[in-house]
Amino acid sequence: MERSRLLGWFLLNLALAGAQALTPAHHLSLPDVARLQSLLSQQFTDLESAYHSVVGLTKLGAAVPDHDHVCQFLKSQLDPTSVDSVFFAAETSQAISGCEIPVSNETRDILLAAVSEDSTMAQIHRAVSALSSLGLPVVSQEVVGALAARINKEDNVMAITSALQTAARLSQQAELGGILEEIEDLTARLDDLGGIYLQFEEGLEATAMFVTAAYSLSDHVDMEPPLKEDQVIQLVNSIFSKKSWDSLAEAFSVASAAAALSSNRFHVPVIVSAHGPATVSHSQPTLQLLVTDVMSQPLASANVLVESAYAVASKSVILSQASFTLNDGVYELNFMSTQPASGYYQFTIAVTGDSRLVANHVELKVKVSTEVAITSMDLSVVDKDQSIGTKTTRVDYPSKAKSSFIADSHQNFAMSFQLVDVNTGVELTPHQTFVRLHNQKTGQEVVFVAEPDSKSLYKFELDTAERKSEFDSISGTYSLCLIVGDATLENPILWNVADVVLKFVDEEAPATIQSKTLYVPKPEIQHLFREPEKKPPTVVSNTFTALVLSPFLLLLILWFKLGANISSFSFSPSTILFHVGHAATLGLMYVYWTHLNMFQTLKYLAFIGGVTFLAGNRMLAQKAVKRIAAEQSSRLAKYRSLR
Amino acid sequence: MSNSVISVVSRFLEEYTSTTPNKLKVVDSYLLYILLTGALQFLYCLLVGTFPFNSFLSGFISCVGSFILAVCLRIQINPQNKGDFLSISPERAFADFLFAHTVLHLVVMNFIG
Repeated sequence: MERSRLLGWFLLNLALAGAQALTPAHHLSLPDVARLQSLLSQQFTDLESAYHSVVGLTKLGAAVPDHDHVCQFLKSQLDPTSVDSVFFAAETSQAISGCEIPVSNETRDILLAAVSEDSTMAQIHRAVSALSSLGLPVVSQEVVGALAARINKEDNVMAITSALQTAARLSQQAELGGILEEIEDLTARLDDLGGIYLQFEEGLEATAMFVTAAYSLSDHVDMEPPLKEDQVIQLVNSIFSKKSWDSLAEAFSVASAAAALSSNRFHVPVIVSAHGPATVSHSQPTLQLLVTDVMSQPLASANVLVESAYAVASKSVILSQASFTLNDGVYELNFMSTQPASGYYQFTIAVTGDSRLVANHVELKVKVSTEVAITSMDLSVVDKDQSIGTKTTRVDYPSKAKSSFIADSHQNFAMSFQLVDVNTGVELTPHQTFVRLHNQKTGQEVVFVAEPDSKSLYKFELDTAERKSEFDSISGTYSLCLIVGDATLENPILWNVADVVLKFVDEEAPATIQSKTLYVPKPEIQHLFREPEKKPPTVVSNTFTALVLSPFLLLLILWFKLGANISSFSFSPSTILFHVGHAATLGLMYVYWTHLNMFQTLKYLAFIGGVTFLAGNRMLAQKAVKRIAAEQSSRLAKYRSLR
Repeated sequence: MSNSVISVVSRFLEEYTSTTPNKLKVVDSYLLYILLTGALQFLYCLLVGTFPFNSFLSGFISCVGSFILAVCLRIQINPQNKGDFLSISPERAFADFLFAHTVLHLVVMNFIG
């Protein structure tokens, strides 16, 4: 029976955790309210700032100082022919006591004339509000008609919000259904930012004024506004996420929205926060919660109940259906009475007692902290071959071992201890358990992790021969410290247990220079060109130069033998020019090799080549003519001889 | 066997010296000169090493290119091939030979480094 009930609660918890109900991430904390008040209390210069200041302070529930002075200011600044001026004065005078604004018939006519389809929405709103504040009669049905007509013309958020505010001032008998539907239409226009914020792109003021107007109209007609619980929370987040307000009007809108969200007939968002840190311990056994509205005002009538609490690590339910008791505005629960082990606990808290409450199921992480004690700290030096019986020394926290321990490379230094909860006597395994060895001479630190065995007994053994590289093989006196820490420990421990003299076999020079050279600039990296290969000896290259040139000699000899000659060389200008041009081309090739680049070469080549081409053309043409003539004459001679 | 080879070779040389025009012999000796130059460069490359490789390449390419151009010139001015190159006079062939040489050596010089 008991087990099935526990299981049921466990499943419910899982379902709740899975749903991950949205809770308000922002609200006006008490310092925020104080800052908002101080911003609104600044000296006002005109009727509009007086309106924002006085009405805003009233919405926050703060006192307005010096009513008479404010009343004097209103009367002196009032312009009876301006709708705006009358509106500000009338609304402000409503917020303070004993201030009557005198109204003439003329002013009343101006206000009534402003209620028509031809005025802007803002004018209609101000005129109707002024008339209602001044206690003058308005024909509600006419106003509704004018509003409906204006809504069709001015389809923006601010105008429709004004329409909602105006409707809240009208008689409940008027047909307000059409205007009430506008709340739903505006809600559809809200932008969702990451599922956490819901706001109008027109800004904070528009969003805050919409919330104010929607709740004032809903209260007025006593119909629940079409806002879902998540949407209310998202609106709360976007309105109260801004903590510094640009203008008096913005501060006024936030104050109005805070008032609307904390005192309306339908939705009151609940803010549950821990009073101080969400931590319990044996010295501070009660978990203290603040349950407030968005303005950090305590909700007096609420019942606060722990639906369940389970340990984060083991997922086991430790507490269910326990209620908090109200004590001086703070809800308290003695959590330590259930004797929880130290660690983190996930609480699911329900706030009931009022059907209006929104976001009344809250998840809260609570830390249970405790104190740790070190028991049975045994130190010993063990010979590796185990031939000599070990002699252990017990040290009690926080004193230090009287004599120091000496361990050479044939010995292990061993240490064992237990960590227990001071309050319950249960063994603890904190997150951080370190053994630090600190060389007293060089300042070098070596840190090891001490690990518990299956019986939560910590054992640490130092093999001096094996670990010598971590000590840079520096022998000397090391102070041995035990470090114990955990987020759930109230008394983290740093205990100098003993002094240990470690002796390493092959002591090397201390490598302290290395750490010094760590921060000097690295040597500059020089670019290395490819090194030329080794040249062959000059004799070889010279020989081959001669060899490569030798066929030219052969060519000359062959030509000489064949009887090649330059007998047909004529000294006509074209011939000379051609040969000179040809030689120049060869010379240019050489200069190209040694001095010029391709573009320069091509430029010169175009010139030389052109001349050479023309001259060559002419010369070769002459030769061709001669050859053809010679051929013809020889053919003729042949023909003659044949005849 | 060797006898016949010798006789064939001697017959070939005889035919060559008697029937080939003198002009072609001049070109042939030029070809031989280029062939030997290229072969010696290659020999150097084999014996000593390829460094500097670009110079070797440009020299060798120069030899190969010149040889090809000279062969073309020889084909075009050979009286036996007159039927194939009716539109190309020997002078035209020589001018082409010179022009192609200019372009070839522009490349070779660019490559020599």
